[in-house]
Amino acid sequence: MTTFNILVAVCACYVLFLFAVAFAADRMAMQGHKPWLRSPLIYTLSLSIYCTAWTFYGAVGSAARTGFEYLTIYLGPTLVMVSWWWLLRKLIRIGRTQRITSIADLISSRYGKSNLLAAGVTLLAVIGTTPYIALQLQSVTLSFSVFVPEASTAPDAQNGTLALYLSIGLAVFTVLFGTRNLDAKERHDGVVMAIAVEAVVKLVALMSVGIFVVWGISGGASEALARIDASEFGGWQIDRSRWTGLIFLSAAAFLCLPRTFQVLVVENSNEGHLRTASWAFPLYLGLMSLFVVPIAVAGLDLLPEDANPDLFVLTIPLHFGQDSLAMLSFLGGFSSATSMVIVAAIALSTMVSNHIVMPIWLRLSTRGASVSGDVRHAVLMARRVSIVAVVMLGYLYYRASSGGEALAAIGLVSFCGLAQVLPAMLGGIFWRGATRAGAFAGLTAGFATWLYTLYLPSFGAGSILPVSVIEFGPFGVDWLKPDALFGISGLDRLMHALLWSMTFNVAGFVAVSLLTFPSPLERLQAAQFVNIFDHSASTRSWTGGVGQAEDLMVMAQRILGAEEARALFSRHARLQGAKGDLPYPSPDFLEVLERELSSSVGAATAHAMVGQITGGMAVSVEDLMAVADETAQMLEYSARLKEKSEELSRTALELRNANQKLTRLSIQKDAFLSQISHELRTPMTSIRAFSEILRDTDGLQSADQSRYASIIHDEAQRLTRLLDDLLDLSVVENGQVNLNLREGMLGDVLDRAVASAAIGEDGARFRIDRVPEDETILLHTDLDRLAQVFINLISNARKYCDAPDPGLTIRVSRENSAVIIDFQDNGSGISPEAADMIFEKFARVSDQKAGGAGLGLAICRQVMARLGGSVDLVPGGEGATFRVVLPGPRAMAAQ
Amino acid sequence: MTGPADRPGPPPVFHEKRTYRRRRLIDAARIAPVAVLFLWLLPLIWPQTEGTGLRSATALVYIFTVWALVILCNLVLSRRLGSGPERDEDAPP
Repeated sequence: MTTFNILVAVCACYVLFLFAVAFAADRMAMQGHKPWLRSPLIYTLSLSIYCTAWTFYGAVGSAARTGFEYLTIYLGPTLVMVSWWWLLRKLIRIGRTQRITSIADLISSRYGKSNLLAAGVTLLAVIGTTPYIALQLQSVTLSFSVFVPEASTAPDAQNGTLALYLSIGLAVFTVLFGTRNLDAKERHDGVVMAIAVEAVVKLVALMSVGIFVVWGISGGASEALARIDASEFGGWQIDRSRWTGLIFLSAAAFLCLPRTFQVLVVENSNEGHLRTASWAFPLYLGLMSLFVVPIAVAGLDLLPEDANPDLFVLTIPLHFGQDSLAMLSFLGGFSSATSMVIVAAIALSTMVSNHIVMPIWLRLSTRGASVSGDVRHAVLMARRVSIVAVVMLGYLYYRASSGGEALAAIGLVSFCGLAQVLPAMLGGIFWRGATRAGAFAGLTAGFATWLYTLYLPSFGAGSILPVSVIEFGPFGVDWLKPDALFGISGLDRLMHALLWSMTFNVAGFVAVSLLTFPSPLERLQAAQFVNIFDHSASTRSWTGGVGQAEDLMVMAQRILGAEEARALFSRHARLQGAKGDLPYPSPDFLEVLERELSSSVGAATAHAMVGQITGGMAVSVEDLMAVADETAQMLEYSARLKEKSEELSRTALELRNANQKLTRLSIQKDAFLSQISHELRTPMTSIRAFSEILRDTDGLQSADQSRYASIIHDEAQRLTRLLDDLLDLSVVENGQVNLNLREGMLGDVLDRAVASAAIGEDGARFRIDRVPEDETILLHTDLDRLAQVFINLISNARKYCDAPDPGLTIRVSRENSAVIIDFQDNGSGISPEAADMIFEKFARVSDQKAGGAGLGLAICRQVMARLGGSVDLVPGGEGATFRVVLPGPRAMAAQ
Repeated sequence: MTGPADRPGPPPVFHEKRTYRRRRLIDAARIAPVAVLFLWLLPLIWPQTEGTGLRSATALVYIFTVWALVILCNLVLSRRLGSGPERDEDAPP
């Protein structure tokens, strides 16, 4: 006889076996044996997550109670699989190209990445799935009680403890294998492998019991059929509305349940697997349901009246002393329960952490998502906590409902709740006009109706909804009764809820979608989703040849640098055991490469680049936006760089000009030094020579004597003038000059200057034009210094004007309050190169016309600066024009 | 490479036979769910009177026969549709 402890030991061994399978699969995946792990067979078997303990045990129970109705639960998914070409293929393609992680993510992504919608769907999924997890726990404890009769009479506490241990074990398994890595594609090789093994166990278990019943007890197929005809449901009896409604409901649930969506879309690694699943999964479902009726009939015939039909799968083998068959059957049920809880927990935790925990965390944490390692850690933590929370929620629900009959009906109630996602989902992938507001309205209406008409009443009258509301409607409004909306009574409660919730859902969805206008992101996503086959490339996953590897190499070299890229590629080629230096572009390698690249060019760009070369992934709107963002940053950066470089080149130009000027100055200075030494030397030489003659020559005639003395005198004067100039410049430059401010007429100053400049020159040949009327301007300034400037300018003109008939025009004008005096000669002017030099010290326009030391203009400029005005060369014009500007306050009109 | 044979002309009115077959297969794949649903909704109109009505065993055999048909049908469709290139719907033959 099987004891409680043996059962626990068997369960423990089985769970350990699952751990081993999952661990081995994960190890194999890491070593790159993906093709075997990701075969179409494994994919098909993992789809069997749809068949839970509720279908394993409950199908027979349901058949025993209501006849053929149980079939609808399998017919719906089969119909969905028949629609693989136009429905599932599209769904999976969308899931792969948009990197969908859950059904909430699908809805949110389609409707403009709305987190509100995602959170809503997540909430719906948690509310709908928690009772379902409780149901699994209940079925396991119930099956324990079959083997160990005393367990059924044991206090609830023992069953509760059992359920608690089971929950903890499942939570540990799920955390270990479900959150091992934070893969963007959300694939879990270990878990999927374990689920596939469990699928085989439950199929073998149920078929063994079926074969035993048909050939072991009834004695053959035809006898079994005859026994069915002879049984109490020999005549064909179905509730027509439930037959139709349940086919629809189970089809919707197959698409919308978080766990089936997880294995169907998220865990799908190759679109081609769907082709196999399209016929293999209906086969699996057919085999699962084939023996249900024979088992139910045999149970009703052979077992005592009070036997629980839900447990016929266990009690029939036990009744005939087939302990090992019963144990196998028990393991089948156990498998169904555990696999459902594991995958549901993974799917729900992904949704909860992605759409509820992370948004809150990101909003609360001030640093934002810039620290990537930190976020990864937080996401993993959120997943783990969510898994434990989801499983424990199921356990609490089980304890709260105390495992009563209420649980048995909860399966279909859950289905109905989750089916509310269907309109938004199908509308989203087939109708471009579906909007976020529409989806939100439909979901809300359907969810509310479901809550009111089915979920809350399912707890029993008076538990949540008061009895009065259920019997007479809220506030006595008769037509709002939860089980007879609009006064239409007599319908089955489930069908009633399904009808109205779907009606309100679809109506709200369509009406609001028609009335509202979608955001740009929504419209882009709508086009991406609805026309997925136009936008996405072929989905042979990341397959590709060495040709692609070469392209990748070229790209990587460009970004990472040749040495580093070659090292990376050959390292992975060695890891893969490939010949040569180019690794096969496997998903693993592409992921690594993408990460490497993203550190240089940003994640979105890296993803788009790798995607473009491998061609396996279309660029999503989010990617594009991120790329645009990065590009904008780069543009801004390059604009700044350009600005800087322009500034630098400007500075360089200035420096070059300054350098040229310095070089010229240096040459001038050298020239000046040689000139000044020459200038000093020449008079000195003649002074020495003539003074020696005077000293040494006796009997000089007095005329000669006085001639020599006057030469010496002249030369000494020349020397003095030169030294005066130098002294003057240094005085003016150092600002030590004392201004002798007086009042006087401009005309007088000019007269004096012209007269002084004419001394010693042949005044007849140099013509000076003036307009005396303009010169009647009263000045208050240092008149001597001003005259010095004028003298300099006039004598310069006289010296350098190269016209055959040299002349100078002096024009006086007023601008605002300033007085402007222009000195324009009629020569050939000053060349542009010389123009910026003439005011420098020692500057002379040409060495040939060695008139002075080249200090005149420099002194003029310094003097004018001291007087508060300026002297400049006016560019352009005929001849050289110097402009003297005297500032306003000191220049007062005479009249 | 500008021989007369390579010059792009107007698209042909009729598709190649292979493309034509493939398109009809896709039609079949699209219609299949409707057909199967119809077959499985037929039990709704079966007589349900006690005694004289249809026997359960017959109904069971019918439903599972349809099921087998579905499996077979999908097996053939998936093999045929899978062998061709994924996107030759839009590409010229």
